[in-house]
Amino acid sequence: MSDRISVTLVVNGREYRRDVEPRMHLADFLRQELGLTGTHIGCEQGVCGNCTVLVAGKAVKSCLMFAPQAEGLEVTTVESLAGFDEELHPLQEAFKDAHALQCGYCTPGFLMAISALAAEGRRPTRDELRQELSGVICRCTGYENILTAAERYLSKQRVSEGVDGWGI
Amino acid sequence: MKSAPFSYVRPESLADALGVLESSAGGARVLAGGQSLVPMLQMRLMQVDTLIDINRLPGLDDVRADGPETVFGPLVRHTMLESLPLVSERLPLLQSAIRYVGDPQIRNRGTIGGSLAQADPTGEIPLACLALDAVVVAQSVSGSRRIAIGDLLVGSYATALEPEEMITEVRVPPAAHHFAFLERNRKHNDFAVINVAIVGCRDSDGRWSSLRIALGGVNDRPVLAVEAASLLEGTMLEEEAVAEAAQLALEVVDPPSDIRASAEYRRHLVPIYVRRALTKLRDDHERPDV
Repeated sequence: MSDRISVTLVVNGREYRRDVEPRMHLADFLRQELGLTGTHIGCEQGVCGNCTVLVAGKAVKSCLMFAPQAEGLEVTTVESLAGFDEELHPLQEAFKDAHALQCGYCTPGFLMAISALAAEGRRPTRDELRQELSGVICRCTGYENILTAAERYLSKQRVSEGVDGWGI
Repeated sequence: MKSAPFSYVRPESLADALGVLESSAGGARVLAGGQSLVPMLQMRLMQVDTLIDINRLPGLDDVRADGPETVFGPLVRHTMLESLPLVSERLPLLQSAIRYVGDPQIRNRGTIGGSLAQADPTGEIPLACLALDAVVVAQSVSGSRRIAIGDLLVGSYATALEPEEMITEVRVPPAAHHFAFLERNRKHNDFAVINVAIVGCRDSDGRWSSLRIALGGVNDRPVLAVEAASLLEGTMLEEEAVAEAAQLALEVVDPPSDIRASAEYRRHLVPIYVRRALTKLRDDHERPDV
């Protein structure tokens, strides 16, 4: 009933092809098939948002997509941020400077949700940011420092109007 | 948890998708945004033989004006509704309700057709579509039919769709421009404990007509408080009339008790939220319909 299915996609600019069971969700695919364990899995039911990645430029919860749904699409994970020499990305620097993480488990989800805002050229107010980042749950920080880091980072990014397409 | 095994198909055309639905004898489900279906599969609340991924089918994600009607393809994502001028001009209630759907990631994937097929009794989309008197077009290999929203939503997570049918359009007639939407949640982004959607017309004297008051989370499906609305016909939504209508709304509710709220608490909230929504409607709209 559940034959393996071929999935070819581009993750962080590199193309991968794997044969997987259709029921494997994208977060498991990234972690188990590609070894990209930066994407964290919390709840597997779309609540915690820790598994947030970009698919076709849009922030999505990778536990709520089955891997074959990403066929031919571009996926961007937290591994895309830091340089090869482990130099931190400015967004990661902002998190470090603002003490925006404690245990760090949710951090990849926040980094990708904020990356999506930056990619769309948006600069929400702090109040709007609360809404924009409400899809990622953090149990340590109380969110204030995360908002501060996001604000500081986004204030240095290009602002643009309009969104190019609706993704997937 | 992981979903039980299933076969995955990604048809090239609507006809192919409907063909698979027809031949699956009820064992297949259509996968649109998947923001409710995938969690249900992974929590093993549901098992399917086949998932039919319609995300790549062309032409299903348009929003267009068809005369006075606004027509949505089933794959229109919530994020798209949030920012489309056509929606803000014609159906501001829908746009207002969308912001209560899930969170940004969920809204990037979730679809209008999927939300209606899911028929969550607390869902904002079914509620808003009920207030707006929407009609869905359901298609199967043997043809298509129109189903009024009130007939589509038949119970908790239950619709009148046949197993071989798929929603291919959501058609919304021109709506009274004045609206109010209120929702009570235990916490941000949670399923609603109660939500209220109201549309109506206000004339230059401040008298209201054509009111539709829809309530979510307080029955096995969203319901219209028809008598409460008739009571307010021709009034200026004065405090006494509003209070009376708010009490009358209790007649259409039969709230569930669940992890989010007891039936008693939900009943307690009904008149309060109807009154608040009507008051908001009155106070937000000082200007008459143009």
